[in-house]
Amino acid sequence: MKVLVAVKRVIDYNVKVRVKPDNSDVDLNNVKMAMNPFCEIAVEEAVRLKEKGVATEIVVVSIGPKVAQEQIRTSLALGADRGILIETDEKLESLTVAKLLKAVVEKEQPQLVVLGKQSIDSDNNQTGQMLGALTGLPQGTFASEVVVDGDKVNVTREVDAGLRTVGLSLPAIVTTDLRLNEPRYASLPNIMKAKRKPLEVVSPADLGVEIKSTQTVVKVTPPAERSAGIKVADVAELVEKLKNEAKVL
Amino acid sequence: MATDLQGLGLGLASRFATNPIVQKYKLAKPAEKFAYISTKKGFEFAQKLMANKAKKKQQANGDIKALPAPPPLFDLSLSDEQQMIRDSVKAYAESNIRPLALAADEDAKLPENLLLESQDLGLNYFAIPEALGGAGQLSPMTNALVAEDLAWGDFSLAYAILSSSSVVNTISRWGNKQQQELWLPKFCTQATDANDVFSAAIAVQEPQPLFNSNELTTKAKKNKKGYVINGIKSFIPLAGKANLYLVAAKFKGKNQIFIVPANTKGLKFKSSPAMGLRSAEIGTLKLDKVQVNKNALLGADNPPSKTFHYGTFVDSGNLAWCAMAIGCCQAALDYLIPYVNERFAFGEPISHRQSVAFMIADMKIEIESMRLLVWKAASRFERSEKFHRDAFLAHQLCIEKSMEIGTNAVQLLGGHGFTKEHPAERWYRDLRILAVINGGLQL
Repeated sequence: MKVLVAVKRVIDYNVKVRVKPDNSDVDLNNVKMAMNPFCEIAVEEAVRLKEKGVATEIVVVSIGPKVAQEQIRTSLALGADRGILIETDEKLESLTVAKLLKAVVEKEQPQLVVLGKQSIDSDNNQTGQMLGALTGLPQGTFASEVVVDGDKVNVTREVDAGLRTVGLSLPAIVTTDLRLNEPRYASLPNIMKAKRKPLEVVSPADLGVEIKSTQTVVKVTPPAERSAGIKVADVAELVEKLKNEAKVL
Repeated sequence: MATDLQGLGLGLASRFATNPIVQKYKLAKPAEKFAYISTKKGFEFAQKLMANKAKKKQQANGDIKALPAPPPLFDLSLSDEQQMIRDSVKAYAESNIRPLALAADEDAKLPENLLLESQDLGLNYFAIPEALGGAGQLSPMTNALVAEDLAWGDFSLAYAILSSSSVVNTISRWGNKQQQELWLPKFCTQATDANDVFSAAIAVQEPQPLFNSNELTTKAKKNKKGYVINGIKSFIPLAGKANLYLVAAKFKGKNQIFIVPANTKGLKFKSSPAMGLRSAEIGTLKLDKVQVNKNALLGADNPPSKTFHYGTFVDSGNLAWCAMAIGCCQAALDYLIPYVNERFAFGEPISHRQSVAFMIADMKIEIESMRLLVWKAASRFERSEKFHRDAFLAHQLCIEKSMEIGTNAVQLLGGHGFTKEHPAERWYRDLRILAVINGGLQL
């Protein structure tokens, strides 16, 4: 079974994000970049499927500038077999990404597509669902457990009321939630081996997709600074403040 | 040759520019310009001359090859792989080593599953030749990076983890075919139980005053069965726990390494808990008429190109200490910077006081200097160039500065630094090792 995993290059989760002085965007200058944590979980899940003997080949795809190769190499070091970079310096929205991924799905014909449920930079939580709609494949989002059973995959999803398990017929699309697994660390020998694994670079035009922008960013502002908390003398004062100041009671 | 020519030109031209007559008639500026142009031209000419010469030589040989591009003049950027290794090891150190450090230090005990779990990083079989199941990467530079980042997590636990890989590196570099085939595959097997992890340690240090690693009192003698070793070794990590020891001993007037399995008769281990590096389970080893077999002498019957070189062995050991110290110092700095910015005294963060800010700035400068010297030595070692002097300089700087940074880390935290509430006191104790091992400061 072939598994396709999509990974995104984002600001490292440890970095304190800064906004550009003109409020046009987030400042990416000299900022440490890394693989989106949810994508790391997706790669790990695919590698575990391969270790179980379920998956036979893991293809990793990323879309972005040339340097996004780093995230593909990291995936290869974690255990993926080959990589595809759709190279573009354009700013991408979820729908464009989904269209590009659809083209890759058509070309590669994977049985399972695994994506992170969202990326920690824009937090859109759209790409997996859009890809499902565009390809017409069944989708299981926010997976906390993925079990492949013959030509079906059972995806346990984290929903507000608890857990819901959906059975999808393959090929299918799965997006990963935080508790699906804990990604491994790339071992030194595997990092060295990753260099020898194939990495194909294509352009959006090669896949017949035109990059169009339908959205414009009006303004980017940092969240309001939190002011320090206060101490209340007793319960009565607390209730009074909750009622009259916070207006939550 | 090109540089010689350029030097000559520069000398002549600058003599001309500083000539009193030239100065008097305000010709200095144009003269300097002349000096610049003429030497530049001269340099270009000399380069062309050399290129032509090389070309002619190649033509005479019948094959024409382009001249190799000159290496960048000064480039300290790591390769993509090295950067990935750093990221991976640092992330591992942060989530799997740092949280264990406090308890491990208190108990003076290695966490039960540390060696088992750290197998995931593949440190041990990194250097082992591919034919024997490893990755075939014997890289002192990468080792320095790994040692630094692991020790950033915790010095003592990093020391315990790296104990086996230092043995693997030594056998991979100098062991003869038989020794490599016998021992190295044991390090490649992925154990599933903590008791099955194959571990090893190096035993060089001896408990005499002003120990000098070149003046070993542990002696080996040849006999019919192989060799007999007598002596006392101190400061061995995983003492009594490891499966294999590399023991340094004098044999026929030369310093050599003997491969001694832990189950050999006559080995007596004694734990010797110390001020620092407590969780590495340091101990002493008494070798009483220890009989080892004929193939225990590391690198015996090797071709001259692979002959064991004790000096290189000691230098690379010192570099490992340095790299670990850098990691620990960096950990201290990373801990201190937010602290001094957040700790308020007299209505402002203490970092607003120059006496504090200067100490932090000095630490940063010193850590960078230590790192540069270690990297220089390690990269020369990697290219098989002489690196004794570089390793020595790096070691001296690291001895002095790591102690200073350790003590200043405690100082900057004030009374808190003295308590176990903060890791600074542990780092201070651990960093103290640099100045006492391998003769340390007094040698």
